[in-house]
Amino acid sequence: MRDARLGVDPRLSMGLCCAALLLLLPALLPAPCQAADITLSSRTYLLYYEREVTGGADKNFAPLYEYLSADARNLGDKPLSFHFYGWGRLDLSDDTDDDGHSGELGSAYFQYLHPTGNAEMRLGRFFFTEGTAAEIMDGIFLKARTPVGFGLSVFGGVPVERTITSTDTGDSIYGGRLFFARPGFAELGVTYLMEKGDFRGDDREMVGGDLWVRPGTGVEISGRASYNVSTSALAQQRYVLRLTPFSRLDLAVGYEEYKYKDLFQTALHPAFLSPSVDPNDEAQIVFAIVDIEVASGLTLEGGVKNIRHDASDPGDATRVEAGLRYAYNDGKDLGGLSAAIVSADRAENEYQEYRVFATCSPGPWRFSLDALTQRYKEQISGIKDAYQVVGSAGWQVLPYLKLSGDVTYTRSPRFTEDYAGLVRASLDLGITTGGK
Amino acid sequence: MMRRNVFAILAGAVALAMFMGCSLVSQTESVPPKHPEELAAMRADCRECHEDVSTGALKPYASFRHSLVFIKQHSMYASQGQNLCASCHAPSFCQTCHVRKDELKPSTKMGDRPDRVLQHRGDYIVLHQIDGRLDPGSCFRCHGNKNDTRCQACHR
Repeated sequence: MRDARLGVDPRLSMGLCCAALLLLLPALLPAPCQAADITLSSRTYLLYYEREVTGGADKNFAPLYEYLSADARNLGDKPLSFHFYGWGRLDLSDDTDDDGHSGELGSAYFQYLHPTGNAEMRLGRFFFTEGTAAEIMDGIFLKARTPVGFGLSVFGGVPVERTITSTDTGDSIYGGRLFFARPGFAELGVTYLMEKGDFRGDDREMVGGDLWVRPGTGVEISGRASYNVSTSALAQQRYVLRLTPFSRLDLAVGYEEYKYKDLFQTALHPAFLSPSVDPNDEAQIVFAIVDIEVASGLTLEGGVKNIRHDASDPGDATRVEAGLRYAYNDGKDLGGLSAAIVSADRAENEYQEYRVFATCSPGPWRFSLDALTQRYKEQISGIKDAYQVVGSAGWQVLPYLKLSGDVTYTRSPRFTEDYAGLVRASLDLGITTGGK
Repeated sequence: MMRRNVFAILAGAVALAMFMGCSLVSQTESVPPKHPEELAAMRADCRECHEDVSTGALKPYASFRHSLVFIKQHSMYASQGQNLCASCHAPSFCQTCHVRKDELKPSTKMGDRPDRVLQHRGDYIVLHQIDGRLDPGSCFRCHGNKNDTRCQACHR
């Protein structure tokens, strides 16, 4: 059975082939167009931790992860690029799942960026955000803006999703956004998205609007709203007023509202569906966020979020948080502390959270410490508090290679006492080939 | 049926590209694909060098100062101009969090970066019971139809 571990996910194989092709691309192209700026980034993580499994036995886990991203820009001295991102896991000790390995092709796409009008084309697998759409897709994306300010984007392909319900993921996805933008003053857009699939018996069909307006210096109003065509109702809306009257003050106040049955109609995750949630519930959220640089390097951050529900079950709640951040060592290092208090109608939803962290970077070394504690009003599994401390030490071995390691201590309702280790190797290479 | 749809989309996209590519594209300079200078790892403040409006993103550079306000509202700015993000961040940067499936949470991958604003620090499996009850919409954005590998252990 051990041989099965040697099998590689087809998607991952394809991704690795794409990465190899990408690196060979300059050599494969005809001589006059061999130019390319290639960057390669690798993050390797080896974790080590112990877990008690069903039956009371202890198992040691040592998953090895590799996250690889590569970008080849300026292909053939043209505004053409290829981008790749993917990860893979191999279990070096006890298996973390049935296979002992896993992986994913995150993205692999060609991109053409036109020198003007922010026109672009993407082809392959990519993550995109456009108006009220934010998707990962195997397909094509096109966008351009006209001289008078109107613009259009279209996209289409196969959605890249996961499901842990009995509902299949979507078969195809397409849509577009019509927008108008006046530089420095406003941008308005209307997005249409259709995903063919058996979502609660209907396709996923959404029409959304997005807005950004700057009526004066230091004042911005933005908003987004999505209408679910399948349920014939406004699923979600969110509006924000952002004020920056002084260069050191940034303040936002906003309102958000969503209806469970309309927003979660397309969920592929049972936590968002009945009976886990009441589909008739609605949430209204009022929030404020502030960021003030009170002195050079010293920033005060804060926020308030009030959540109200139509249904009495979850109850209402308010989260208040405040923190300080201080940058030192020419901005290379930061220290901070923060506190958050959640008060709620129901005691089971109340908790407090406190955090302190600091970094220190002498020469090629970097050390950091991060401590977090949470205090629950009501016990969870018989425990009322949780702690986690992460200590990290890193060494910049070479300009393009850094080695670091973390030790994490956790005590929580899930762990009586848990220590976990992580070793990290970060490699960043940049190469320019050919060219003029 | 699905294949026919995809072909129709591709044909439409190519037609649109040709149509737009002729002369209808604005002559305003696009966002450069890569920031011409290396940037420090700390929170970005475009105002250190830029005072005007970004020709590509069509918004003032001041809007993109990476304050806590911007970080918590970044999706709005990205949804109207993802190219500006990609000018300074690697294209895969968004996928540190926005992925189909991932097994390591960002705060584990970046345990050496406590200065970063990252989701789900600590033993969040415990705390998500409360946050999820109170504001499931905030979970839905990332976990509604993807990024649910860890959820699968309990939610079936």
